[in-house]
Amino acid sequence: MDPYQVLGISPSASDDEVKKAYRSLSRKYHPDANVNNPNKAMAEEKFKQVQQAYDTIMKMRQRGESYGGYGSNYSSGRTSYGYGQRANISPELQAALNYLSGGYYQEAMTVLSSIDASKRGGVWYYMAAVASEGLGNLSAAREYAARAVALEPSNFQFRQYQAHLDGDAWYATRSASYRRPYDGYSRWCVDLLLMNLFCGCCC
Amino acid sequence: MFGYINANQEVMSAEDRDTYKAFYCGLCRKLKELGGWKAQVLLNYDMTFLIILLSGLYELESKKYSFSCAMHPGKKQFAYDNEAVTYCAKMNIVLGYHNLMDDYADSKNLSKKTLANSYKKVYTAIREEYPEKVAAVERMMDAIRDAESRREENLDVMAGYMGTMLGELFVWKDDVWNKGLRDMGYYMGKFIYIMDAYDDLEKDEKDHNYNPLLMKKNCNRDCYEVFCQQALTSMVSECAKSFECLPILEHAEILRNILYSGIWTKYEYKQIKLGNRMNKEKQDGSISGIRD
Repeated sequence: MDPYQVLGISPSASDDEVKKAYRSLSRKYHPDANVNNPNKAMAEEKFKQVQQAYDTIMKMRQRGESYGGYGSNYSSGRTSYGYGQRANISPELQAALNYLSGGYYQEAMTVLSSIDASKRGGVWYYMAAVASEGLGNLSAAREYAARAVALEPSNFQFRQYQAHLDGDAWYATRSASYRRPYDGYSRWCVDLLLMNLFCGCCC
Repeated sequence: MFGYINANQEVMSAEDRDTYKAFYCGLCRKLKELGGWKAQVLLNYDMTFLIILLSGLYELESKKYSFSCAMHPGKKQFAYDNEAVTYCAKMNIVLGYHNLMDDYADSKNLSKKTLANSYKKVYTAIREEYPEKVAAVERMMDAIRDAESRREENLDVMAGYMGTMLGELFVWKDDVWNKGLRDMGYYMGKFIYIMDAYDDLEKDEKDHNYNPLLMKKNCNRDCYEVFCQQALTSMVSECAKSFECLPILEHAEILRNILYSGIWTKYEYKQIKLGNRMNKEKQDGSISGIRD
């Protein structure tokens, strides 16, 4: 059974949408909520299906990253963009994928542009980023990659790809805000508590 | 062992910061309730993270209450209370007890032992309530001490003990989220162990103390910094991956702030210190160069 159908969402749903759908359905079919339900057995069956569908989708999305070796492959220019693990990849996306694997970035971009904006999920943005990078459009690539990450925060392939684009800036950008890294607040609280302890000992 | 799981409060929304602080205060109040002011000194951000994680995952209803705090006189403070706060405060006391005993074993500082002993009664009560959790902590603390005394060279083995221990504590209820929570705790524990070793390296080197990273530093000095950075990054990545698989919507931004940013606070702080020292050495070098 298609796990997306079980949760009643489209495959291009964001991670948060998947989680929301899971939350509301699992609450609805939770055994505790169906104690007096005459169709208790059916609700329980449904509860299990929802659980399984959620697990499958999350695993699938994370495995999306497991194609090809990462990082080192990029320096050699060519990477295999197998997206085989992901179910429900449309023929257009598959075509774009084939072009990307062959290094035909312009063709890939053309196919991608033909896909209706409403059907563009994380994978679309990821592929558009890869194609843009291939064409040397690095700032466009960065924008697409950021969009892919925003749509699917759990997909580490997207994150790593984004980091690769920024020259591993994923962590660097975060550390940039650490110019004042010490947490005065925590130190202060605990120091005061320790002082209190000291006072407690002598009084 | 404590103090590595911080938030980056600078890039947090005001609302999230208030929530974060209210859970932190909630933990502090709960520690006081359980063990008085002596337990309050065990307060830390690491356990605050676990409280928020469990509150988000189980969508717990938190009771908000106001209190006045002796540390911040004159200002009314807010705190949250829920079952996760209670659970985490208890685990906090268990870890705090072992942490102090560990410090005592290293330094023979009697005040540490005295303080640890003052928790003995509440510790015993917690052990009766959570026999499996406390047994896991005791087992892993023993394993770490054994491995330290045989000067274990494998960093993964050492970090793995801490990981297993934290993994056990993350699994609050044995349900469908067992694996997700255990994995998160496991990698976070490994991160904490490596970060702790990284943080203490210079001190341990000077005092000839055991530190599994010393081996790495001695055999390849140039690559040492890269090795540490990569080891830490891979642990956090795995932890964050497991987090993203959990259906957490409430407090998710606070948790992401910690996992993707705040967790690096100590590391970044050390980088700044190392950078300053290197600059100073360079300056000293050039001054002596002029003199020559």
